[in-house]
Amino acid sequence: MNSNRLVNRISRRDFLKLAGAGAASVALANFLASCAPKSDGGTLNVLVPAAPDPAPPGVGQFSLDAFEQWKKNNGFEVTYEAPPWPQLHDKMAANFASGQYVHDIIYMSGWVPEFADYLIDFADELPADIIADLPPSSFSTLTWGGKRLGVIFTLSLLTMFYNKEMLDGIGVKEAPKTWDELKGVAKELTGGGKYGWVLNYGAPEGIGGVASYWMCFLQQAGGKLYDDKGQPSFNNAAGVDSLQCMVDLMEFTDPGSLSYVGINDATNVFAAGQAAMMMNWPFMWKPANDPATSKVVGKVNAAVLPAGPAGTASIDGTDAYTITSLSPNPEGARKLIEFYLDAEVQKRQVLDTGWLPIRLSVLNDPEVQAAAPNAAVVLEQAKNPYDSYVTPDYNAVTTAIGVEIQKALAGTQSAADSIKNASDQVIEIVKKRG
Amino acid sequence: MQTTNEYNRKRYRLGLWFVAPAVFVLLIVLAYPIFASLVLSFLRVRFAGQGLSFEFNGLNNYADLFRKDLFREALFRSVYYTVIEVVSVILLALLVALMLNHPLGRSAFYRVVLLVPWALAPVANAVLWKWIYNANYGILNQALRGLGAIEENIIWLGKPWLALNMILVADIWKAVPFIALLILAGLQNIPSYLYKAARLDGANAWQQFVHITLPGIKTTFVISIVLQSIWALKVFDLIYVLTKGSPADSTVLLNYLSWRETFSNLDIGYGAAIANVLFALMLMLALVYIRALRPRQTQAQGG
Repeated sequence: MNSNRLVNRISRRDFLKLAGAGAASVALANFLASCAPKSDGGTLNVLVPAAPDPAPPGVGQFSLDAFEQWKKNNGFEVTYEAPPWPQLHDKMAANFASGQYVHDIIYMSGWVPEFADYLIDFADELPADIIADLPPSSFSTLTWGGKRLGVIFTLSLLTMFYNKEMLDGIGVKEAPKTWDELKGVAKELTGGGKYGWVLNYGAPEGIGGVASYWMCFLQQAGGKLYDDKGQPSFNNAAGVDSLQCMVDLMEFTDPGSLSYVGINDATNVFAAGQAAMMMNWPFMWKPANDPATSKVVGKVNAAVLPAGPAGTASIDGTDAYTITSLSPNPEGARKLIEFYLDAEVQKRQVLDTGWLPIRLSVLNDPEVQAAAPNAAVVLEQAKNPYDSYVTPDYNAVTTAIGVEIQKALAGTQSAADSIKNASDQVIEIVKKRG
Repeated sequence: MQTTNEYNRKRYRLGLWFVAPAVFVLLIVLAYPIFASLVLSFLRVRFAGQGLSFEFNGLNNYADLFRKDLFREALFRSVYYTVIEVVSVILLALLVALMLNHPLGRSAFYRVVLLVPWALAPVANAVLWKWIYNANYGILNQALRGLGAIEENIIWLGKPWLALNMILVADIWKAVPFIALLILAGLQNIPSYLYKAARLDGANAWQQFVHITLPGIKTTFVISIVLQSIWALKVFDLIYVLTKGSPADSTVLLNYLSWRETFSNLDIGYGAAIANVLFALMLMLALVYIRALRPRQTQAQGG
């Protein structure tokens, strides 16, 4: 009797245990399988910013039929992940840190040196006609360790945008050409709730942060962020003068600029006719001339940035597509990038979204020049320095500099002290870089 | 026949099987990250090659914390933020709960309306306040100008202490509803005969509040204070959307600093050390929370 009970009890429990363990194992296996990204070679996973930031067909609303046709002809599905721009860096950092394949193609903006080890050099495999049609400097911000780790798809340099009507109102017929003219015009246009200048100084870091804006002024003053040995070299007259110019301009700048954390915050002020001048990326032309979003339609003009002691200078947005080293299908990824760089797609990119093409033949297309008169200005700006000084620790460097610049702009610290403090911090960061 | 002890042992073992999945999940989603974060804080982590490279760094990340002004400032600001938020939220929530407990305020409509701020997604709440505070078009400046209170627009997020306090206001607005409902539940547990007896004894409203209401919601108070302290310490969304730590790092609090060092600057070991300090602070508060709950459990068991 005892032995029977024991057998019955064990078999029933064992059965329950085994069944439970089996079900749990199957559920866990299914769960893990569903978590794994698709890497069957038939699907290309692409990480890009959401529109209106520079996005490819399928996220941006252009060349949609051509995109469908490309997928059909090449037998690929394309899956986009398109978070807002500020989330991109965190997302790719987390993905790369996991060591797992997640994306084939990733949009980059100034982060190529930071993630260089996770990207492949594919530029040499691009068709010769595409390479020949790109500005010679297209790969400069994407080259790290002698490898060309991406390809720029939009010519995106900061240039000056101004409200012609407001400048006409004070008898100024063209954009200011020097720092002094800039300050003079801004002063005259400030008053009655309107301002001469607006920009987003709220976020310190990255391309489009206040540190990157200062880099334009720094180069205009003849300065450089690093010397030939890669050591910080801006704690000098050029560094201080460039920041002092920004500080002097603050009196005629929308004071909200100190709180605007994104370029759109500043763009909204300009498009509402509340500020006369700003520097911005080329995409600005289209929304500023769209009656649905702008009160300054037909009143906007573009010009190269005012010159400092060393002439005009800008920074490069470095909007590029890269291929990850864990991609199971780098060939397919490269073909998709070639599609993004196709002349017709590039043309639709500027006509439908405002983001300029990178291909010179498209930039020189009369239809493009008519739709985006600022293209010629950007090309002119590109004849002058536009180094963004990207490094593997770009965010740390620009945060350190940006915070010190904010102190100077807020008037709590002199320009000289800010530059010295920033330089000291960058020296530490460079040391840590090793 | 099975003895009572044997039966209890079997029940206990079966109980273990039932809780095993929950324990397993907790180990994966809670214990492992906490352990990993602790380990990371003793490492120097670099992005290199096909994955991360790790190098033992001893206590250097923790030494850096106390060497860097920004950490000390962020710690001070976090404490300031937490104290002000907790005091403000508790007082406002108590006021709201007392009004909702009044016969005129007992309509379910008021409770539903009250819950709206709390139900908003954190980022949606932050975007909403971003527009309210906008220097040029924000409704706050427009309203104050309309009332004649100000002549020039105020840059709410452009000055260090002002920006931090405006973030506090936005956070308090979102936090009050939940705490108010918590206190309301406490108020409704106070037997009404205590008030009747007090009135018969000639106690006025203030005496009733001090001697019946406050002691009656003491446990709820402690729980609210601890929960709100933890939530205030880990504020992130509002800072990320409204100021990104600006102006000049004046709104960088511990949680934001940990994120910035980890994900933006990719100094993962140092970011983990900051996160662990924050974790230790919250753990202490959680222990207080557990302690606060204990007397009630004892009373329930005893009663």
